Amino acid sequence: MSSVLTARSLSKHYGKQAAVDRINLDIAPGRIIGLIGPNGSGKTTTLKAALGLIPFEGELKVLGFDPRTERDDLMKDVCFIADVAVLPRWIRVREALDIVEGTHPKFNRSKALAYLAKTKLKPEMKVKEMSKGMIVQLHLAIVMSIDAKILVLDEPTLGLDILYRKQFYQNLLEEYFDENKTIIVTTHQVEEIEHILTDLIFIREGKITLNTTMDEIAERFTEVMVNSENYAAAKALAPIDERSVFGKTVFLFDGVERSTLAALGDTKNPGIADLFVATMKGTYA
Amino acid sequence: MNTMKWLLKREYWEHKGGFLWAPIVVAAFIGLLSIGSMLFGTVAGNNKGMFHANGSDFTSLQHALSSVSEADKTAFATGLASGYPAIAVPVMITLGFVVFFYCLGNLFDERKDRSILFWKSLPVSDRDTVASKAMTALLVAPVIALTVSLALALLVVLTLMVLAAINGFNLFGAVFGHTGFYLTFVQTLAFLPVYALWALPTVGYLMFVSSWAKSKPFLWAVGVPVIGGVILSWVNMLADSPFDLEKYWLLVARGLGSVFPGSWISAFSDNPDVHVDAGNAMNMLLSASYELLASANLWLGAAIGIAFLFGAIKMRRYRDEG
Repeated sequence: MSSVLTARSLSKHYGKQAAVDRINLDIAPGRIIGLIGPNGSGKTTTLKAALGLIPFEGELKVLGFDPRTERDDLMKDVCFIADVAVLPRWIRVREALDIVEGTHPKFNRSKALAYLAKTKLKPEMKVKEMSKGMIVQLHLAIVMSIDAKILVLDEPTLGLDILYRKQFYQNLLEEYFDENKTIIVTTHQVEEIEHILTDLIFIREGKITLNTTMDEIAERFTEVMVNSENYAAAKALAPIDERSVFGKTVFLFDGVERSTLAALGDTKNPGIADLFVATMKGTYA
Repeated sequence: MNTMKWLLKREYWEHKGGFLWAPIVVAAFIGLLSIGSMLFGTVAGNNKGMFHANGSDFTSLQHALSSVSEADKTAFATGLASGYPAIAVPVMITLGFVVFFYCLGNLFDERKDRSILFWKSLPVSDRDTVASKAMTALLVAPVIALTVSLALALLVVLTLMVLAAINGFNLFGAVFGHTGFYLTFVQTLAFLPVYALWALPTVGYLMFVSSWAKSKPFLWAVGVPVIGGVILSWVNMLADSPFDLEKYWLLVARGLGSVFPGSWISAFSDNPDVHVDAGNAMNMLLSASYELLASANLWLGAAIGIAFLFGAIKMRRYRDEG
């Protein structure tokens, strides 16, 4: 099946500053993509462009629609949570369900009620009476009951405690995701979503620095813990990052045979967080 | 699926306080005040008191009322039958304020609290959203306020008639038998289309400012025209009065004040030949109001209002909330 999202030379400028700088991107259906980058790297801007929230330069098609001119059609198949707690404060749970049911052709109310039954939310409760975590629960219950093709989550769990965060991603994976859906998610809490992702995109200063599948990452990147006697040998293999831990050195290698590295010390798959830190060095310098 | 119905409901739910409770509170206040004073008047009047009617003094209300001639009674009934909605004028003034501040906030607040990010995640176009908000201001809010007004007016007029009847002054036949009583009811509702068209420029302008302002929409909407006027007055003082300030302020009043019901009477043409009395006042007012439909003032204003609304749609479509 063809891409659900295609970007060619996608750019967005704020004044002279390029927030997104000629990005090319293809996203296949049935994937969960993590879009990871430091603050101000252009993640949110890219997503906003895809959701038709801002004008942009270049070419961008989402489900075959141009978000600039065909947003109204696009939004029937795309759903998003942009930022935490953006539900209007005056609304009641019941009213929110009524409005979404009345305006969204792909909303399934009984599904939403089933999700809500597992929370402490009551139909007459107003958003302003809820904790941040409860607001996210409501928003997620709504979004998961919409049979959309693409779900975009921009920092959906920012400021939530670990219980809400775990539950959020667990629900998403177990009860929502299937091969016909695509989820694009940005977050700073990379460790927490690492196990649910199928694809990973690193973005830095408006450019994509890494775009690969999680399987490929396991093949490509290796972390080795090396004693001081092997330090020079490891260094010779051109590691992309090194850090010291308890008198040993941990090297990160890109595209070096694991068997070669195994001779130098204990190897393991690097976490996304370590990979991220290694590739983003010097971002704020 | 009727998207517009739900969009209108959404506006009503959010602003129930302004659209429903504000008119009800004002109406309840007027109702209590007028019915209370009527009760006080009758009770006090039947104990001791002096009444002055038809050039003679009476010691009780009943005596005073019974001396009223048939002709005066008819005139009184006519006035009552055709003028009873007038008691609800404060309710309609309240409507003006409610609509003014609703329009000033309806596209600003959703950006301020970022709930626009939720609304925009629904498959609802910016055009429909802006249209629903304009319709709420021009139709939904006035219909509610008018309903409350008429309920208040009926309550007060009925109380008055009951109290009068208890005191031997039966107005029921004269009032209910008067076609004006029913006509007035319909006539009051007939102002609605004139209101919607007349208020359009203000609604459009305020909503545009609401969609555009990064902060403090009130200061932008009101401050800019006022500062403009001050600058023009300065120029007039320094140079040889090149600007017609009176026209400028009229324009500002038209732009900002047209959400107040009845503000269009300022646009009536003077007609000294017409004699206005209690019986025909409502007729005159309504026909003069509808004559405005033939005026450039009304249609030009409406067209400008619609242009502003299109501007608001564009602003909502592309405004980057950062």
